[in-house]
Amino acid sequence: MKEKVMSLDQALNLVQDGMLLAMGGNGMHRNATLFALGLTLKPVKDLKVCAAAPGIAADILVGTGKADRAYFGFFGLENEAGLAPGMRKAMQGANPTAKATEGS
Amino acid sequence: MWGSDLLEQNPDFYKVMECPWTGEKVVCVRSLRPDYSIIHVQEADIYGNARILGPNYQDVLLSRASGHVILTTERIVGTYRMQEEPKLTAIPHILVDAVVELPGGAKHGICYPEYLTVDFDLHKEYQKAVKSGEVPKFAEKMLEGRL
Repeated sequence: MKEKVMSLDQALNLVQDGMLLAMGGNGMHRNATLFALGLTLKPVKDLKVCAAAPGIAADILVGTGKADRAYFGFFGLENEAGLAPGMRKAMQGANPTAKATEGS
Repeated sequence: MWGSDLLEQNPDFYKVMECPWTGEKVVCVRSLRPDYSIIHVQEADIYGNARILGPNYQDVLLSRASGHVILTTERIVGTYRMQEEPKLTAIPHILVDAVVELPGGAKHGICYPEYLTVDFDLHKEYQKAVKSGEVPKFAEKMLEGRL
């Protein structure tokens, strides 16, 4: 078995422009939130995200314009955390910055 | 699928085909092939064998569907943990490219059993940051000393 431990910065640099990322977790639960926040500090662009129930991590990427497309069944944060603010900002209104493919 | 607008809305994603055995019309859905799965777990060893405590959600499927996997983990544990109970390994090392030790990696959200509630002070800050377009500034605060 090969050792694969690396720094957060090294792992963030693995993500390249245009990649499709599957985001783990659900709603506010066990999302790789800090990793997603780290991506917002990198120049990477044109990402796409997918998950059955993407939550806060995908919301960060869509809301900051890092991701321009999301494939999902349900996109929200659930309970008191409510709707996904970044997703709404990116997808509602006259000039959306991200496209949703629901039911995928 | 039948009776919904999904077929018309996403013609690149859904195709109606004939079942080769019965002739019945069936809806085929194009599969997604993610480049990376980004998964936060409670325990991983240095090779990328990972345990998920509590619900898996779809993470086991995501790891199999993706070309590569990046794990962030609450802690790195000895491989003996996996050897003691091999069936509890949710994601095996062969699927994984990167292991990042990142305690609190799911904050300001929840990671059972480490932190069990959303940090609503931070969540309000995040909501404001989204509205004002200052999420990278919020990210700098959350990642202080970790990058």
